Amino acid sequence: IEELEMRYTTSVDKGLTSSFAREVLERDGLNELKPPKGTPEYVKFARQLAGGLQCLMWVAAVICFIAFGIELGRGNLTSFDDLYLAIVLITVVVVTGCFGYYQEFKSTNIIASFKNLVPQQALVIRDGQKNQINANELVVGDLVEIKGGDRVPADIRIITSQGCKVDNSSLTGESEPQTRSPECTHENPLETRNVAFFSTTCLEGVATGVIINTGDRTIIGRIASLASGVGNEKTPIAIEIEHFVDIIAGLAIFFGFTFFVVAMFIGYAFLEAMIFFMAIVVAYVPEGLLATVTVSFTSTITSVCSTSVICSDKTGTLTQNRMTVAHLWFDNHVHAADTTEDQSGQSFDQSSETWRSLARVAALCNRAIFKPDQEGIPIPKRIVVGDASETALLKFTELTVGNTMDYRNRFKKIVEVPFNSTNKFQLSIHELEDPLDLRYLLVMKGAPERILERCSTILVKGQELPLDEQWSESFQTAYMDLGGLGERVLGFCHLYLNEKEFPRGYQFETDDMNFPTSGLCFAGLISMIDPPRATVPDAVMKCRTAGIRVIMVTGDHPITAKAIAANVGIISEGSETVEDIAQRKRIPVEQVNKSEARACVISGGQLKDMSSDELDEALRNHPEMVFARTSPQQKLIIVESCQRLGSIVAVTGDGVNDSPALKKADIGVAMGIAGSDAAKNAADMILLDDNFASIVTGVEQGRLIFDNLKKSIAYTLTKNIPELTPYLVYITVSVPLPLGCITILFIELATDIFPSVSLAYEKAESDIMHLKPRNPRRDRLVNEALAVYSYFQIGAIQSYAGFTDYFTAMAQEGWFPLLCVGLRGQWEDVKLQDLQDSYGQEWTYSQRLYQEYTCYTVFFVSIEICQIADVLIRKTRRLSAFQQGFFRNRVLVSAIVFQLCLGNLLCYCPGMPNIFNFMPIRVQWWFVPVPFGILIFVYDEIRKLGVRRHPGSWWDQELYY
Amino acid sequence: MAKDGEKSDWKEFLWNPRTREFLGRTASSWGLIFLFYLIFYTCLAGMFALTMYVMLQTLDEHRPTWQDRLSTPGLVIRPRADDTFEIVYTKEDTESWDLYAQTLDKFLQPYNDSLQAQKNHECAPDKYFIQEDSGEVKNNPKRSCQFNRTVLQSCSGIDDRYYGYREGQPCIIIKLNRVIGLLPGKDNQAPYVTCAAKKDDADKIGELIYFPPNGTINSMYFPYYGKKAQVNYSQPLVAVKFLNITHNEDVNIECKINAENIPVGGERDKFAGRVSFKLRINSKN
Repeated sequence: IEELEMRYTTSVDKGLTSSFAREVLERDGLNELKPPKGTPEYVKFARQLAGGLQCLMWVAAVICFIAFGIELGRGNLTSFDDLYLAIVLITVVVVTGCFGYYQEFKSTNIIASFKNLVPQQALVIRDGQKNQINANELVVGDLVEIKGGDRVPADIRIITSQGCKVDNSSLTGESEPQTRSPECTHENPLETRNVAFFSTTCLEGVATGVIINTGDRTIIGRIASLASGVGNEKTPIAIEIEHFVDIIAGLAIFFGFTFFVVAMFIGYAFLEAMIFFMAIVVAYVPEGLLATVTVSFTSTITSVCSTSVICSDKTGTLTQNRMTVAHLWFDNHVHAADTTEDQSGQSFDQSSETWRSLARVAALCNRAIFKPDQEGIPIPKRIVVGDASETALLKFTELTVGNTMDYRNRFKKIVEVPFNSTNKFQLSIHELEDPLDLRYLLVMKGAPERILERCSTILVKGQELPLDEQWSESFQTAYMDLGGLGERVLGFCHLYLNEKEFPRGYQFETDDMNFPTSGLCFAGLISMIDPPRATVPDAVMKCRTAGIRVIMVTGDHPITAKAIAANVGIISEGSETVEDIAQRKRIPVEQVNKSEARACVISGGQLKDMSSDELDEALRNHPEMVFARTSPQQKLIIVESCQRLGSIVAVTGDGVNDSPALKKADIGVAMGIAGSDAAKNAADMILLDDNFASIVTGVEQGRLIFDNLKKSIAYTLTKNIPELTPYLVYITVSVPLPLGCITILFIELATDIFPSVSLAYEKAESDIMHLKPRNPRRDRLVNEALAVYSYFQIGAIQSYAGFTDYFTAMAQEGWFPLLCVGLRGQWEDVKLQDLQDSYGQEWTYSQRLYQEYTCYTVFFVSIEICQIADVLIRKTRRLSAFQQGFFRNRVLVSAIVFQLCLGNLLCYCPGMPNIFNFMPIRVQWWFVPVPFGILIFVYDEIRKLGVRRHPGSWWDQELYY
Repeated sequence: MAKDGEKSDWKEFLWNPRTREFLGRTASSWGLIFLFYLIFYTCLAGMFALTMYVMLQTLDEHRPTWQDRLSTPGLVIRPRADDTFEIVYTKEDTESWDLYAQTLDKFLQPYNDSLQAQKNHECAPDKYFIQEDSGEVKNNPKRSCQFNRTVLQSCSGIDDRYYGYREGQPCIIIKLNRVIGLLPGKDNQAPYVTCAAKKDDADKIGELIYFPPNGTINSMYFPYYGKKAQVNYSQPLVAVKFLNITHNEDVNIECKINAENIPVGGERDKFAGRVSFKLRINSKN
């Protein structure tokens, strides 16, 4: 303590002087967590506008502007198409950018919530006087006082303490309150008893202490900076989409550039070639896709689909974060209590006399009380004032015996000795319920071995029997068994005090204990644990079948961790750790063949000595892993190690200590109810019901959405080919342009959006939870088979449909296909007003232009019709569409109807020809592409049939996406 | 390190000597894929060809299925130089108008009376020259009516080789675009062409004279049966001669066809049923 005074130039009773405190404040800054330097908002926004596709679209827009400028310069005011196009392109980029920015914005305010953890006021002793000051003005060396209910204002070295307990669960994950006292118990600051941490809560007692760290230098500050220092890992789905966008952008440039060169080579003017480049980019880039994906698919649930490892925190995620009585030992039997959340489990036999005595001790020797006015609330959910084990006992007695408060009133408490660390027991003396019985009842509970020492008899089936060797031994076995389950065991005993020796009104002294504290009668053991949630074992099982590995990473003790892990199935039945094998075979641990052990429990201490290679090795060798007593950094190391092994890691957690790992994980999952704000902010996803089982549901949904996203992308990509081919044919064969840029944008941004979104509502094709998680290196979102099948097969059929319809419309209006070839120059000659068609009729330029618009519309309609067939085939990748059912996805059906209506509106709404280049086309031309639509459907059914009939065949490999 | 890995990855992707894979596929795999696509595209192309063939079979040889765009036939002027609708020349400078005269010469060549008499039929004027097919029996080839160059009189280039350009009284020839089946004018009221100056230039245009008289297009030249059935069809012409147009100034002129059953062309089409051009005759005097 003197050393402390020296180091911080403070005084244990007077505190700092205010002037010195001010100096230090200036030196160290405010006692606050500083938000990390973020990228400025406009940079973030700009980044959203500068993605691969976005850049391409900017280029296209600029080319449009230039083209428009040149046209304008030539005095040709007739064509505003280029200007329209440029504006639409820019709008698309900006709107998608806004979406993206909004998405990003939602997930970035991390430190903001750390701020909320800072206490507002603190009681500080300066110049020998107690002052209430703002906590952010505290400095190192300040002497502060904390009491129950306060938030600890900084990292504090405790100097004096009276029953001070703090709740460290948000920091370390331990669910029990920790005692804080002046003695140093451990070298590790996180383990030692004499330091209370910033932002933890003082539950009870009073303490004074010297501040040793403030602001960002506190433990929590370090975790915060660790969390913000960890790069925000992109979610796997984001990586997939980026990968896909890169490919698309690359291909667009490739196509555009190739045809630019070709066009130059054929002899087009530079400007014309540039416009071709622009048009090809517009045709090839799926403009609507980014918006579709952002709107309907990037619900974070999508990210969990590819999870292959879940690193789960124990407390609060797997367990209920509530000490509950799990087992009782009396009458030489272990009885299991009901630990389920809703008390739906089996109870034990309560007929024994011993049980009654045990329950009485448990009820009386307990200081915890319910907060008033909670009658309507189920017992397990009621709020209790008291420490965790007393709470557990109170709730337990309330559930089994009945109204404990009333019960206690009947046995009037005379005196009590609270628990302390030297005695390790707690006792109280009560009057008996029966007013005629004048004896006093002494009840005691405490550490089992200490209780046993004080007992001379044992209660068996209501009989007091002498406590002999045999009973001692069975006690020991029971104690070891329960301890081995990771449970906290308490012993209970009682004694009826002789009414002669201790008559009514006897003055019991608690300090010198003028009453017997030995020779008691042992009643039984009660063990408590933070029990697993009821749904967790099932969920873990499901993860297993879905090929997802669950690793427990906790700050709790290894034994508890292992017990819970075994309980929920993380360590499955029959799996042994190296230590277990050693014990069974009675050989030293070193001789055990490590590969025999499926399970492994590693504590933080062991982890510290392991190299990352060793850790990787351990993760590879033991499929069932439990990490206990881990620090936040170590959680991070574990996550990194899993990622090195190629897994997609999901981390669940609730505490501040989990936040770095949550951020590092591919998918961070925070608890919605119990989770600290820091954890929630670091997470990609928040479980609203705190239920681990929801993650499994999430995985299931995520996999479904991943599949559906694949279908949606396949659908969207397909039409890029029939959009692109008109240009290619136009450039190379010089036919009148079959499909204009504005029309393409209408397909991309209007009619096709709804079907592609509706695919998100498609039901799963098979039991997706029996498949292995996808391999992120091999099973891409957009794989070769998908692209090739969409582009070169379905897309090709669609192109043929479009051209058939185009040539039909041209021929029926008088322009035969062979005449069309090479016609471009004359067709587009503004000055040529009497161009002859195949029948010898003469056409003015405008008449030809409207004919061209008719072609656009006809091509548009063909793509529409084929896309309807396309969306029907995309419903399934493997099953027949008949097996999936056509009308089960109502959204999809209505999307098709809507698409058709929109198509009709565009075609037949007056004014369209001059605004958007849509012409009212003849009804017959709607039916020309129908055979091609049927062909698409039939062809895909054949493909699926082949895939189903011959799994693994060439057909399957090449055509299954 | 990572870069290196990527590089060798690429190399291996290009040619993997272990598995003998080129771009991720072995030769036989590539072969199969090519075969597959060969068959696939052959079938597709076959289907395309078939549908196109069927579609072409449904077309009438002589009459387009639809004439949605051609309700108002276009008007076109001759001579036309340099793809513009401006006729600008200097009276005294022969070279500046010689080209116009030559164009007209060439244009009117097929209308020579001798050629017309040789190829075409002398029709009864003032009524449609209808030659219907009688059911299945096609009445082909169909005859066409004579349009003799001499009808254009002083704009025919026979009397005045220079079509009035030398005198500063130029002829402009206007033709109506051919549209199959078009019967302009109602109740045998023949359509006629009128020309007028645009807004400010009204006082500059001076006197006009039309050939044939009143700019009438005789009904006997309609209907048109298409270039296949009516090989020698002679498109009727109207010539306009500007007798005393203001020299050394731009004169904007619009000519249009007047017929009751020809709708006025849309705002956007400047050449449907009308034609605008600029005439400027420079004179050194």
